[in-house]
Amino acid sequence: MPLDDEAVAEIYREHGPMLRRVVWRATSDANRVDDIVQEVILRVWKQAPDAENLRAYLITTARHLIVDQHRAAGRRPQQAQLVEIAERDSALDRALDQVLVEEALGRLQTNHREIVRCLYYERLTVAETSVRVGVPEGTVKSRAYYAVRNLRVILDEMGVTR
Amino acid sequence: MNPGSDDLHVLLGAYVLGGLSDDDHRAFSEHLRTCVPCQTELGQVSGLPRLLDLAGPEGGPHLAEAAAGVAAGLPTEPDNERVTTLLAEVSRRRRRRRTWITGLAAAAAVAFFVGGAWLGPRWTATTPPTAGPTATSTLPTTHVEAAAVPGSSVRVDIALVTRGWGTQLDIDCEDMPKEGELALWVIDANGRATTAASWRATAAGYSKVTGATALRPNEIRSLEVRTGTGKVLASART
Ligand SMILES: [Zn+2]
Repeated sequence: MPLDDEAVAEIYREHGPMLRRVVWRATSDANRVDDIVQEVILRVWKQAPDAENLRAYLITTARHLIVDQHRAAGRRPQQAQLVEIAERDSALDRALDQVLVEEALGRLQTNHREIVRCLYYERLTVAETSVRVGVPEGTVKSRAYYAVRNLRVILDEMGVTR
Repeated sequence: MNPGSDDLHVLLGAYVLGGLSDDDHRAFSEHLRTCVPCQTELGQVSGLPRLLDLAGPEGGPHLAEAAAGVAAGLPTEPDNERVTTLLAEVSRRRRRRRTWITGLAAAAAVAFFVGGAWLGPRWTATTPPTAGPTATSTLPTTHVEAAAVPGSSVRVDIALVTRGWGTQLDIDCEDMPKEGELALWVIDANGRATTAASWRATAAGYSKVTGATALRPNEIRSLEVRTGTGKVLASART
C-alpha cells in the first residue's frame, strides 16, 4: 500500500524534525524521542490524518503521550496522590509550552526574531534596537508589528492558544 | 481616517514587546482608545509576553547566539533513516493485520475447495485507481479485495479511506450482474449491517461508486456486496 507509506513519510518529513525537538526538550530522554515521535505520527495518521490543523493535532497527541508515559513511569501505588499528579502534569505542561514558544520563535523570520530579542528579551528601546540592528526606527517598528502578528499565527497553528 | 493612522497601527508590535519612546507610547495609547481594529488585534496578542517569558531570560535556544545548538544532545542521524524506520513500523503493523487476513482467506479457501469451486479469494494490496479524486490520495487508505462467493465471479475492490466523519468507501467492481440493484453493506463488530451504498447495475457489469459510513475503518468487521434481493455476491473481512 504505497499510499500509506507516502502519507506517513510526508507527515514525518513535514513535522518530524519539529516533533523531535519538542519531545526531546520535554523529556530530555534521547532514547525515547524517536519512539514517541514515531508513535505520535502513526497515531495521528490512523486517527485523524485529514485534521485541519495537523501540526496542532500532532503536538496535542505528543503531549498526551508524554503525560501518559510520565504518569506510568512515576506511578507508585501508595503515593499516587492526585495533587502530586496534577502538579507534575502542570509542570510538564509548562515545559511543553516553553518548548513550543521556543519552537515558534525558531520559525520566525530571522530579522523578526532579532527584533523580538532586542525589544523583549534585552529590553532595548526602539531607538537602541535601530542602532544595534542598523535599520531605521520605522523599520524596527514595522518589523516588531509583523513579528508579533506572525508569532501569534505560528502559536495558534501549534495549538498554543493562550 | 486621519493621515497618521497607518503609522500608529504599526506601533502595536513595539507596544506589546516594549521599547516605545514615551511620545510613541502616549500616541499609541491615545490611538487605541478609538481604533477598534487595533483593540481587537491587541486582544489577540496580549498573551504573548507571558508566553515569551516561558522561553526564559535567554529567550530559549532560538534566540541564543548558537541557534544551532538547539538539538544538542539529541542524536541526529540522517532523517531518511528515521523515515525508513517509521515506514518499517508501518509495514510491520500492516503485516500484523494482513497475517490475520491471510488466515481467514486460507479458511475460506478450504471452504471453496470443498464446494468444488476455487474462486481464489484475494487479499492483496492493490494500486488504487490513479484517476481518483486527488484529495483522497494523501489520506490513509486500506484496500481490500472482496472475495467472490462460490458461484459468483464478481470482482470487487474497496478502498477504505479514513475521514473525520467516518469512512469513505470507494468501490470498484467488475463482472457484476448486468441488471437489478446492488448494494454495499457494512457490518460492525456487533454484526449490525447497514447499507453504505446502493446503485443500479450497468450493462457493462462495471461500476465505480463511492459510499460512506459513520463507522471508523477499525469498527468495520466486514463488507458485503449484495444484490437488491439480498444475495451476497462478494464479501471481505477487514
Ligand atoms: Zn489602529
